[in-house]
Amino acid sequence: MNHTHRKVTGTIDGRKFEAPHGATLLDTAKGLGLTIPTLCHHPGLPPDGNCRLCLVESGGRLLASCMYPLRSDGEAFLTASPLALEARAFVLRLLLARAPNDAYLLGLAGELGVGADPRLTDGADGCIRCGRCVRACRAAGSEAIALVGRGRERKVAGPFFEAPIDCVGCAACARACPTGHIAYSEEPRSIWGRDFDLEPCPLCGRPMGTPEELRRAGVENPVCPACRRREYSKSLMGLPEASFPAP
Amino acid sequence: MDRLKDPIELEALIGRLAEAPSPRGRLWVCGGPGCLAAGAGRIHAAIREAAEARGLGDGYRADLTGCLGLCEKGPLVGVEPGDYVVGGVTLEDCEGLVGETLLNGRPAGRRATGADGAIDQGHPFYEPQTRLITRRFGRIVPESLDDYLKTGGYSALALALGRLSPLEVSERVERSGLRGRGGGGFPAGRKWASCRLAEGAVKYVLANGDEGDPGAFMNRSLMEGDPFSIIEGMTLGAYAVGAAVGFVYVRHEYPLSVERLNGAIGSAERAGLLGENILGSGFSFRLETVLGGGAFVCGESTALMASIEGREGQPRVKYVRSTERGLWDSPTLLQNVETWANVPPIVGRGPGWFRSMGTGDNPGTKVFSLVGQVRRSGLVEMPLGTPIRSLVFGVGGGPRPGRGFKAVQIGGPSGGCLPSEALDLPLDFDNLAKAGAIMGSGGLIVMDDLSCMVDVARYFTGFLMGESCGKCTPCREGLTSLHGILDDLCRGRGRKGDPLELGKVASMLSKTALCGLGQSAANPLLSTLRHFGEEYREHAEEGFCRSGRCQGLFWPEINHELCVGCGACLAACPAGAISGEKKAPHEIDLAACVSCGACLPACRFGAARAVRKGARPERRRDS
Repeated sequence: MNHTHRKVTGTIDGRKFEAPHGATLLDTAKGLGLTIPTLCHHPGLPPDGNCRLCLVESGGRLLASCMYPLRSDGEAFLTASPLALEARAFVLRLLLARAPNDAYLLGLAGELGVGADPRLTDGADGCIRCGRCVRACRAAGSEAIALVGRGRERKVAGPFFEAPIDCVGCAACARACPTGHIAYSEEPRSIWGRDFDLEPCPLCGRPMGTPEELRRAGVENPVCPACRRREYSKSLMGLPEASFPAP
Repeated sequence: MDRLKDPIELEALIGRLAEAPSPRGRLWVCGGPGCLAAGAGRIHAAIREAAEARGLGDGYRADLTGCLGLCEKGPLVGVEPGDYVVGGVTLEDCEGLVGETLLNGRPAGRRATGADGAIDQGHPFYEPQTRLITRRFGRIVPESLDDYLKTGGYSALALALGRLSPLEVSERVERSGLRGRGGGGFPAGRKWASCRLAEGAVKYVLANGDEGDPGAFMNRSLMEGDPFSIIEGMTLGAYAVGAAVGFVYVRHEYPLSVERLNGAIGSAERAGLLGENILGSGFSFRLETVLGGGAFVCGESTALMASIEGREGQPRVKYVRSTERGLWDSPTLLQNVETWANVPPIVGRGPGWFRSMGTGDNPGTKVFSLVGQVRRSGLVEMPLGTPIRSLVFGVGGGPRPGRGFKAVQIGGPSGGCLPSEALDLPLDFDNLAKAGAIMGSGGLIVMDDLSCMVDVARYFTGFLMGESCGKCTPCREGLTSLHGILDDLCRGRGRKGDPLELGKVASMLSKTALCGLGQSAANPLLSTLRHFGEEYREHAEEGFCRSGRCQGLFWPEINHELCVGCGACLAACPAGAISGEKKAPHEIDLAACVSCGACLPACRFGAARAVRKGARPERRRDS
């Protein structure tokens, strides 16, 4: 494979870019200060290209910018051409039918002047099936939930549609959800129909995670992130305790 | 068979087998899907029993073979010598087939002497065909390596391993102009070259046998009828691109295909034609079958690979080609089983010979399954570029008596419906795409004037809605939206703007969906909208179905000049609304009629037809 630091050049909305070979179109557009709306994309998770909201035009073809790798010079992309906007409006209309009250979708819909597809009102459960939750779960180290079933029946669930036994209650799924569909309670912790204990931080006493989550992380003598930062700073600077107000 | 040590030994064996004397008489019982379903297995057993009872020795044989083609007339039995086929064979015919045909070379069986009897190569079903992929059907026992070798099988591999470099093998395929037979018609040579040049310590070759189109059985017939041709093709492909492992992905609803392929793989391994150090060349290639996951989308290349990897069969965004990064992220050469079966003759006889069939940009032949409202249905192989008409009207004999041709649906659920004006189009990848259909894997469904094009679009859209994997938004949600509109149209709830709306949603679906399945899912709808727009308008604006298919959207009417009083419609009517004396024109009482349309296909004389509701008195409200 090509491991050299080759650069690729081209234009997005008429503006020239120079990007590392293989960089995604979305990241490159962001670097130019351009905004392409996304939903299934999350910078901390592997891309999937399933929601189709980030489609942009290149030579009459629509490309999912979150996954399109820049590999050849001279390509020209349009993020707001009539075709790109038509595609965005089409996808939005379908997504809105799933999550009709989502503020982000409603904001985009207002800009483009579209409403939810009137024939799809029966599935308005707030979930857009983007699978960010599933990817977040996997990235955090578990595979407690998955997208189950096919077609319009597809939904996020634990095995056999029961409370997922492999869930550690970390709520990474809920935090990754773009529409706030996954119901959970931070404190006391409950999610996916299961209740979890919360382990207090040995230093500050505030809850720092479920015991299952801490075990999964595999850290010895864990403390909460705020205390960890504080302790680390202390160790570096050797300043008196009073210089570090409690987090 | 002992392990063959080198290509020379293999060539010598092929020569010996080819010169071995043929049996004095031979019956080939069709083992195609249709004939097996019609009891070919029992017929084969009965023929064997009759032969054993007479103590017939090795000079006479009766074997199950691949699909003989003319499924309409099954169960079929092929006869050698004489090279003809007997149709409609029953268990009672078996004794005669052995006593008369096998022993004395005289046609036997009730059908053999009647009008359908002795269907030979001059029969209109067989005469226009060019048999390349199907040339061994009816000539060999599919799982017999000896039979495959006897008919020239593995001579291409002997040539390649003995005298050609991997590059030369690849170049033969590149120069042949062979295009992928699975659907899109992508130039196979470009794939081969790209995979050959791709960097990777491990490469794979795959065969797609996940045929899932309604009404299609080409790939199945091939896997069951000539499994070694696929295996030899894949071995040549692996040699050319440098792969050591291959998989044949077979639909799990095809247990016989799996059994035949596994049997053939085992025989090839024992003979040293697969596995370690093939023919002493140092080249090793291991091949396995993988059972499909039971989803239509697994026929899509990236979903197929995900399924082989053991993951959910879902497509991935394909901006990097599979030949660069495919199965387990390694360079992968995936072809349809029919494409693979084309490889041995191309390598063996050369690209020039292959290009002598078909047209310049579309060389070679294509296997079609010809089904639907046509007189002769079955498995057909024609040179590419053959006009659609000669397939539908020549080979197929056109629509059934009393009916008119309306459309031919080509290419499965991703294909399209073409009208009679398109009948003179050459059947090739490019012309079909221009007309709004695709070659697909070669399914051809003929529809007559009783097929409603809106209903057909609803059927295919519904099929795809059920098979959509649900990964991307446009396909998952858009197909449901489209199906809702089509369903409304077929139930008389259509509105004036519906056809326009359908066109808009469908064209955006094609442009925005993630994979090939989603991008082509609107083709049945778009092609019917384009070629049969008037039917859509009638459904939307008049609530009228001219085909008499959408219940409640028409009244049936009997044309008294055409009615012969046969009583077929009367017998078919579930509401008792039809009356009439034998041999006198019949009448429909609309007060009792439920507008179900059962009388329309019952009429063989074209006398019963659908008319607008306004043209006849409305049904009584109080009934």
